[in-house]
Amino acid sequence: MHGRREDGTDMKRPTMRTLTLTVFCLCAAGALADEEIDRTLDADAKGTVTISNTAGMIDVQGWSRNEVNVIGDIGRGVEELFFERNGDDITIQVKVSRGHHRGVSTDLEVRVPQGSSLKVSGVSADIEVKDVLGTQQLSSVSGDVVSEAAGADVEIETVSGDVELQGDDQEMVAELSSVSGDVEAQNLVGEVTANSVSGDVYLIESTFNRARIHTTSGEIVFHARLLDSGRLSVETINGDVDVVFEDDVSARFDIESFNGRIDNCFGPEPVRTSQYAPGTELKFTEGSGSGRVSIKTLNGDLQMCND
Amino acid sequence: MNEMNENEFDDKLMQAAAGLAKEVRPENDLWPGIEASITSSQGEGGWQWRGMFAQAAAVILLVGGSSGLTYLAVHEDRNPAVPVAPVGALEFRPVSGSFGSHYNLGPDFQDARDDLESKLQEELANLSPETRAEVDKNMTAIRNAIIEINKALAEEPDNVLLQDLLLSSYRKELALMTRVDGMASSVMRRNDI
Repeated sequence: MHGRREDGTDMKRPTMRTLTLTVFCLCAAGALADEEIDRTLDADAKGTVTISNTAGMIDVQGWSRNEVNVIGDIGRGVEELFFERNGDDITIQVKVSRGHHRGVSTDLEVRVPQGSSLKVSGVSADIEVKDVLGTQQLSSVSGDVVSEAAGADVEIETVSGDVELQGDDQEMVAELSSVSGDVEAQNLVGEVTANSVSGDVYLIESTFNRARIHTTSGEIVFHARLLDSGRLSVETINGDVDVVFEDDVSARFDIESFNGRIDNCFGPEPVRTSQYAPGTELKFTEGSGSGRVSIKTLNGDLQMCND
Repeated sequence: MNEMNENEFDDKLMQAAAGLAKEVRPENDLWPGIEASITSSQGEGGWQWRGMFAQAAAVILLVGGSSGLTYLAVHEDRNPAVPVAPVGALEFRPVSGSFGSHYNLGPDFQDARDDLESKLQEELANLSPETRAEVDKNMTAIRNAIIEINKALAEEPDNVLLQDLLLSSYRKELALMTRVDGMASSVMRRNDI
């Protein structure tokens, strides 16, 4: 068919080559178009669900059915939503064509059996998890990660995203780390490791038998109970440290700061470590001394009290 | 690393450090002794290393091994584990690899670190400018901490607090490089067609 282009030139009959290109472009255009999906697979009640999505949102919620349901708003540039069961494992992947990583955004709402374990990862995708009872491994580079824990171990990693973990007072192990994002956790019981570089770390209203918190410049707030024989290890270079022991604490205290100030509401006064060089330390035993508290800072100030 | 592995690892560090203090005296390089001890522990089958992370993990563990120095400095009153070389034996530059003014983590550490750094830069190219800026900013914060502690340690080479904080900062630097590489590339690789 001949016609006139907008610039006034004649349109020629399409050749085989241009037809081929047209078919290819239509396929590509199809792959790039926005699409809403709603798919369901039968699932094991305690299987593992692995989800990866480069950008957008991953919202995971546990439910009572032994099925995994994915509702998604597939963004432009997505080649395929891979959704497959292999034994007890279900995999959901937002596959992005090579070279289309930037600007691609997909929102996923995933319902999983409550007893599932999760492995969820994203680059700039936010992750939110609710009502899931199995273990959780969640990571996003720049997205925020918000989760509820329910007695199973949780591991969360981000680079610039914030981390929020809400426990339910059941014993568990939590490993939380960020680079510049803040790390916040409350109502945890058991063990926690929280690391950041410049992000602040808040552990509040929790009960620990072991807590390790390290930052470079991020502040550290620990308002929690340390069980008998429990261990608290805090280390920071420039971050300030605020420790409040909820309830009595029984531990040997070993606190040192090279340039920071130490203020404590209980125990003896801190002492200078050297007459000629900076440095302050505070070593004492509270109660039976069954636990151990170690706090080290280079420049960060420390405030320590008990309720 | 789970708790049991961590305990086993601490034991290995102590063993490693016990041999280390003697070995590093002549050359002030902390690396070879630690490396040898790690190699032998690999032979025992206690550690599994995989692919590209092996080197990165080894670097973290090897640097971690140096914390044995601190332990020995605290617990060996008669024979201080941190050997005191004559001041000026090394030209002091408070940069990565330095350990105060008397010791350094050696050229192998530097090579491994450079390797990680170049992988990190490749990985960062795939991330957004904002994320790259965040990583750069935080890497700078860690490196500034390393420089600051190194300078302080040059003044007080036997300060155990400074030794601990320095080793911890080196670990954090390497861990950051490894983590960013691992996190971003795993999603990218899974999603690439």
